[in-house]
Amino acid sequence: MILRRGHRVTTQSVSFQFDGREYTAQAGDTVASALLAHGVRLFGRSVKYRRPRGVFAAGPEEPNALLTVGTQPCVIPNVSAPQLAVTPQLITRSQNRWPSLRVDLHAVLQAGGGFFGAGFYYKTFMWPSWRTYETMIRHLAGLGEAPGAADIAPPHVEHLSCDVLVGGAGAAGLAAALAAARAGARVVVCEREPQAGGELDFETATIDEQSATEWVRASLAELARAGARVLYHTAIVGGSDGLVIAHAEPGGIAKNNTVYRIRPQKFVMAMGAVERGIAFANNDRPGVMLLGAAERYLARYGVAVGKVLVLFGNHDRLYASAMRLHAAGMRVRAIVDTRCDVSAAIFGLRATLTGMGVECMSGHAVAEVHGVYGIRRTRIMPLQATGTERFIECDALLVSGGWTPMLQAALHDGGQREFAAKVSEFVASVQPEWRTAVGACAGTFELGAILTESFRAAAQFAHSIGAMGVVGRAPVGRGDTAPQLQAFWRSPCTRAHEKTQFVDLQNDVTVADLRLALSEGFVDIEHIKRYTTLGIGTEQGRTGGLLGAAIVAELKGEALSRVGVSRTRPPYQPMTLGSLAGLNQGDALRVTRRTPLHAWNQAHGAVFEPAEYWLRTRYYRANGTDAFTAGIQEATRVRTHGGILDGSTLGKIEVAGADAAAFLDRLYLTKASTMKVGRSKYMVNLREDGMVLDDGIVLRLAPNRFLATTGSGHAEHMLSHFEHYRALEWSHRQVALTNLTEAWAVIVVAGPKSRATLMNVLGEPWHARLSGLTHMEFSESCWQEQALRVLRASFSGELAFELHCQHGIAVPLWEALVAAGLPPYGLEALDILRVEKGYLVASEMNGEATPQDLGMDGLVNLGNECVGRALLGRPAFVEPQRPRLVGLRARDGKSVIQGGAQITLTAADTHSLGHVSSSVYSPALAQWIALAFVARDRAATGTVLVARDLLRGTDVDVVVTSPVHVDPSSERMKV
Amino acid sequence: MNAVMMRLTCPFCGARELNEFQFHKTAPEPGANPFASVYERVNRTDISQEYWQHVQGCRAWLYVSRNPSTGEVYQVNLLGTQP
Repeated sequence: MILRRGHRVTTQSVSFQFDGREYTAQAGDTVASALLAHGVRLFGRSVKYRRPRGVFAAGPEEPNALLTVGTQPCVIPNVSAPQLAVTPQLITRSQNRWPSLRVDLHAVLQAGGGFFGAGFYYKTFMWPSWRTYETMIRHLAGLGEAPGAADIAPPHVEHLSCDVLVGGAGAAGLAAALAAARAGARVVVCEREPQAGGELDFETATIDEQSATEWVRASLAELARAGARVLYHTAIVGGSDGLVIAHAEPGGIAKNNTVYRIRPQKFVMAMGAVERGIAFANNDRPGVMLLGAAERYLARYGVAVGKVLVLFGNHDRLYASAMRLHAAGMRVRAIVDTRCDVSAAIFGLRATLTGMGVECMSGHAVAEVHGVYGIRRTRIMPLQATGTERFIECDALLVSGGWTPMLQAALHDGGQREFAAKVSEFVASVQPEWRTAVGACAGTFELGAILTESFRAAAQFAHSIGAMGVVGRAPVGRGDTAPQLQAFWRSPCTRAHEKTQFVDLQNDVTVADLRLALSEGFVDIEHIKRYTTLGIGTEQGRTGGLLGAAIVAELKGEALSRVGVSRTRPPYQPMTLGSLAGLNQGDALRVTRRTPLHAWNQAHGAVFEPAEYWLRTRYYRANGTDAFTAGIQEATRVRTHGGILDGSTLGKIEVAGADAAAFLDRLYLTKASTMKVGRSKYMVNLREDGMVLDDGIVLRLAPNRFLATTGSGHAEHMLSHFEHYRALEWSHRQVALTNLTEAWAVIVVAGPKSRATLMNVLGEPWHARLSGLTHMEFSESCWQEQALRVLRASFSGELAFELHCQHGIAVPLWEALVAAGLPPYGLEALDILRVEKGYLVASEMNGEATPQDLGMDGLVNLGNECVGRALLGRPAFVEPQRPRLVGLRARDGKSVIQGGAQITLTAADTHSLGHVSSSVYSPALAQWIALAFVARDRAATGTVLVARDLLRGTDVDVVVTSPVHVDPSSERMKV
Repeated sequence: MNAVMMRLTCPFCGARELNEFQFHKTAPEPGANPFASVYERVNRTDISQEYWQHVQGCRAWLYVSRNPSTGEVYQVNLLGTQP
């Protein structure tokens, strides 16, 4: 194998597979360069017409050569071959063809070229129903196949801030980076290629009396010494509000990605310009390629894209390129220049080329390409009336219609673009003060001007943020002369031929499609884009967007500046959904919190359910085959015998300080300051609009120390609520707030046997305390030399105790209680017990209920001046139709009452009086019971109403009762 | 038009990314009655005074004065100490 030499390849060989065949490449090759070196010309088939296609470009603007990497189920589809680095054992395959690339049975669709024009699916495949055709169309549509399994790890995510961010490490980017670094700014450079240099890789240039390559190397070394950070394989993909997002895909494939979230003080956009083609008949054939692509394949990989070349374009760079390609051994047969007059700048070059046997034609255009799997010859036509057509044989046609500045990053955060007639391009206009475009990105194409402009802009940015170091003078360079471009978008042709003049290669959009869209009334470029699918592929109109807009302008007879180009949106290069999600995926998406007793519960058959971020035990498998059966079993056992519950998720906030008591008085419906030390009280918080926010037991641990408990999963919200009012009204007082939710484990011990078992387990030192402990009183001491607090309080209606301890003794204490005869119960059982007693949870304290709605009139009438009090007296809150909390039972004593059912007067009624907020089967009463909200004027005990479940279509007669269904005088708790 | 970078300068922690903070609500007019404090606001496009909390940092409550049209932040005070 002859070793190729180029900027990116080394002598080391590496082999890979394409469509089942092994190929040998050199380290540094991309799949495109390696296959081109082997003479492969067919890389895929187009999306709609299945036309054979080859490589068109040498970057992410590649529309044709998209490959599938890997094998199912872990494939990665639509990978751009010019970006895909060859790695050992890489498996690639072409897309959109069956059974093979060469022989594609679906290419018969080409025969129906007229039938499948733009928007055909809106007008065809309708009778008898589009579903008849759906399967077939789905099978034929699209490019690559989706992977069957997730194989890609989440990306790394890095947050960066810097003084000056430079997008691009070509001539403009490097000049800007040097200026900023010399001024002393912290610089980050993002370069989407594996190496810096951009067009300096092939342009014949000298900078500061060195070759371009040497200058690039020296500049990178200087940047490294200055501590500037250059990120390779990293493309700017989006951003907003001053944040710039870059995405690194080393090797051009979606593995080991990094997402950079960058906050620059200043951003210099030097991302260059993308070359575009010209539309002519059959301009999509394998062998038609962008001129700059051929230069890149030669300079970077040592690959000759053809043996006999024809160059076609509308600017002076054709000639410099021709010299370079010819010198590398490719035979340039002809240069077809659409401009009629030859500019003085290239007189000499043209003469030299003619002397070398290159035919230089002016005022001519390529009309058509012949050949299906490769070019055989081109048909050249004169652009003026005089002259005849010619045929020139070649195997590669290199086309260049100009360069479109890469403006995506210049268009957000209020950035705009405008049409610069001088260069026939859209360039960045108004920009936020922290961002500027330089170089080809700004419409400057001549190297000397690029270096000066970029250097000065970056120096000015650096100085403006205080980096005042001496930058010296800008690099002085000379490269290819200015292009002197004259706009030319498509070769003249017949209407029939317009069907093969491709504008967007990736989406098979032709000039005929643009004409069709216009004739059907789609005149706005945004509508044309969507109707024809112009520019909607992976390359997002890089090669075809402006071309299409310009052709539309010609067809409409309107100026291009008026037609405009369609809006681009991030990401500017394809990203996987995984990269977009960043770290917010898998377990990291939503934190799962487990209590200290989680492992024990899991090992003993607990079935968990999420409660906010916590996992709580719903029931234990040993007690029943499902939640319903197990819940009843566990609840029954608590009432007859006893049980323990893991209550560690209970929110706990310590409120301490000289003003703690007064602070709590302000934040709760009733006063905390009247509590004695060693006692606790059931307390309710109101929201500022008067609605009940939360409830919980507040303990007075010391004169200046309270423990406020909140609903499980509500602790952070309540903490923010307390902190807000502390800042708003108490900033000069002494109140310390600490979230102790995770510091203390909580074990609830409930049931007739609770006290005796607890005394047994805690031992002698606790006997006197426990037997003397009154309702709502607590005691603090130790167990196994660790702090333990026992509070006598109940949420089940049974005699019960809450044990607060730290993690060290949580499991031993729990196990000791189980061993002593108290089995655990879960939330399902807890819900049964608390509904039987009319105790409230979030279903009742739902943010729409006032304290009076919930039966707390007594607490309200104590008159404590608290947050929310001021808005409690609103007229709507005492209206007769306003729902309030009641209990419900099925009238027949056995029907199921459905949670969420609407309450009405009769089964035919659709006017809702309220709804069922909680419903359970009560083992104590052997029937279904519920808590519900019912209009005050219908809520008298004994009223018969209907609970209508409109979803399941059932209606149940219900009777209004007190919300306290079981043990109304709470005798069981007072034992 | 100049959109400005969205950072807030917490009095304790310094300039931090916006996503460390949680917006609570627009501040009521000073001296407003309780109903107006809870429900009524004057929406101006040039200035907005707001309550934010530095939830992923020091949890301080902040009084932020900013321009809702451009995003420019005029002033950040600890809530309760604002002028």
